[in-house]
Amino acid sequence: MTDLLKSEWIKLRTVRVNYVLTIIAAAIPIVVVTLVAALSSRVQQTADDFAGGVTATLVLTALLLGVVGALNLTSEFSHGTIRVTFAAVPQRRNVLLAKAIVSLLATMVLATIIELVSFGIGAGILSGRGADIALRPSDKAAMASAVLLAGMLSVLGYGIGLLIRNSPATIAVLILWPLLFENLVRAVLSAAGVSNQTPWLPYQSAITMLNPSTDSGDPSRLHGALYLGTIVVVLVAVGIFVNERRDA
Amino acid sequence: MIEVHGLTKRFGRTVAVNQLSFDVRPGRVTGFLGPNGSGKSTTMRCMLALDRPDAGDTRFDGRAYGSLHRPLFEVGALLDAGYVHPGRSGRNHLRTVATSNGISATRVDEVVALVGLTDVSRRRVRTYSLGMRQRLGLAAVLLGDPHTIILDEPANGLDPEGIRWIRDVLVHLAGQGKTVLVSSHLLSEMAQMADDLVVIGMGQLIDTSTVSDFVSKHARHWVRVRSPQVDLIAQQLRSRGATVTTLDVSGIEVVGVPAADIGELAARSGAILHELSPLQGSLEDAFLEATAGSQEYLSVAPTAPTGVAPGGAT
Repeated sequence: MTDLLKSEWIKLRTVRVNYVLTIIAAAIPIVVVTLVAALSSRVQQTADDFAGGVTATLVLTALLLGVVGALNLTSEFSHGTIRVTFAAVPQRRNVLLAKAIVSLLATMVLATIIELVSFGIGAGILSGRGADIALRPSDKAAMASAVLLAGMLSVLGYGIGLLIRNSPATIAVLILWPLLFENLVRAVLSAAGVSNQTPWLPYQSAITMLNPSTDSGDPSRLHGALYLGTIVVVLVAVGIFVNERRDA
Repeated sequence: MIEVHGLTKRFGRTVAVNQLSFDVRPGRVTGFLGPNGSGKSTTMRCMLALDRPDAGDTRFDGRAYGSLHRPLFEVGALLDAGYVHPGRSGRNHLRTVATSNGISATRVDEVVALVGLTDVSRRRVRTYSLGMRQRLGLAAVLLGDPHTIILDEPANGLDPEGIRWIRDVLVHLAGQGKTVLVSSHLLSEMAQMADDLVVIGMGQLIDTSTVSDFVSKHARHWVRVRSPQVDLIAQQLRSRGATVTTLDVSGIEVVGVPAADIGELAARSGAILHELSPLQGSLEDAFLEATAGSQEYLSVAPTAPTGVAPGGAT
């Protein structure tokens, strides 16, 4: 398994598009947080909810890292390299698990670095402008949840890719899931008389993990993590099961 | 030793490979021939557990491919030189493959040098010509120094020097006792390189034998005769039921009578012989004869389009 993890790590870091997406994913929160910290007119108010501001910008980062996770797999199908991969290691389950693990770990490490750099730069600017930055336990939980969300979206993209095997279609589903599908489900639930739809929506439930001060109607962090996490695990398990039996 | 037993693969209602069985022996280059769409590539993918066969199996020295722990040390395969991420360098492509089987970067550099790509190995594959990609694919095959080698159209895109190089490599590897199975449409190359042949058509086995036996069995045989008294010889041969074709005033080609018999007939008739040459068709002739009726795509000689006058005016 160690050889497979090393091989997948080499694959991940030897394609330029992954670097481009990662730079964009890192630049968005860093630039936004820096601008907010530098330009905000209500310095202390911004500082009081600073962790929430940082985690909010990380949603897009998590989605982009999810795209990297998806491309890590689907590019193998589009370029035919999956045949080279499976010919080198016919035990497909091991290969696909190694790919998922590398994707998950790389994404979570990157998300952690991006979050800490964003927070550090913003906190430095706000402190320089005379504000006090206090990091409450709920802020720390929200920041840890952002890293977890990035990891889950990365593996979600990977799981969708396992089933679809096509880069544009996989990215479309990954992006449209939160933007379109869950809003459609929300509308259906609302029409059915469900007053609080968010706990039923996996992506929206997970997003609430990033808010340091959750409302009483919001699902808990544990709910969000378990709901989306379960869907991700099931998707990957089904994807591996299917790919073990399909022609490469 | 490769043993293929009763391999069958269907795509929907199409039977791509049907009850295909053959053996590939070590120490020999075995050519895998068949017309386009005959199932060669599908067979190779099934052998390597990339496609799931509906029936049958393949054994490499008695073991299924899927049971091999580190296959690159046992079987090296090149199915398509295009199976490379164009944004990755050739060397990094090889590193991903090698690392998955615990093969070092040092060995990667060795095989890169072996195939002559050292100067370009750090360039991205999208800048490679097809011939360079073939060499890269062959480098991947050689990574684990396997005892069995499977190549699908390895000479495709190579220049004459590259074609000779790959021929020499495969003959050398077979000389080391390795089992080599190679498909190619370059029949003249196959004639020089292969010891044995497996010929398929429409997914079914047509013949498996040595190259010389295959040509003897399927190619046309005839005798060229040149003589000042060629009309006399032709007349006597026709009376014996031979097929005689006139070449020119002193030459004929004879089908159906051995050269020795023609020589004796000429001697008895008092005819002088200037040439008596037994001739045999090429591997290409034998292949076309053997696969006639198994061609999925039949072509005809080009003709002038109707309604188009010379110069393009209609």
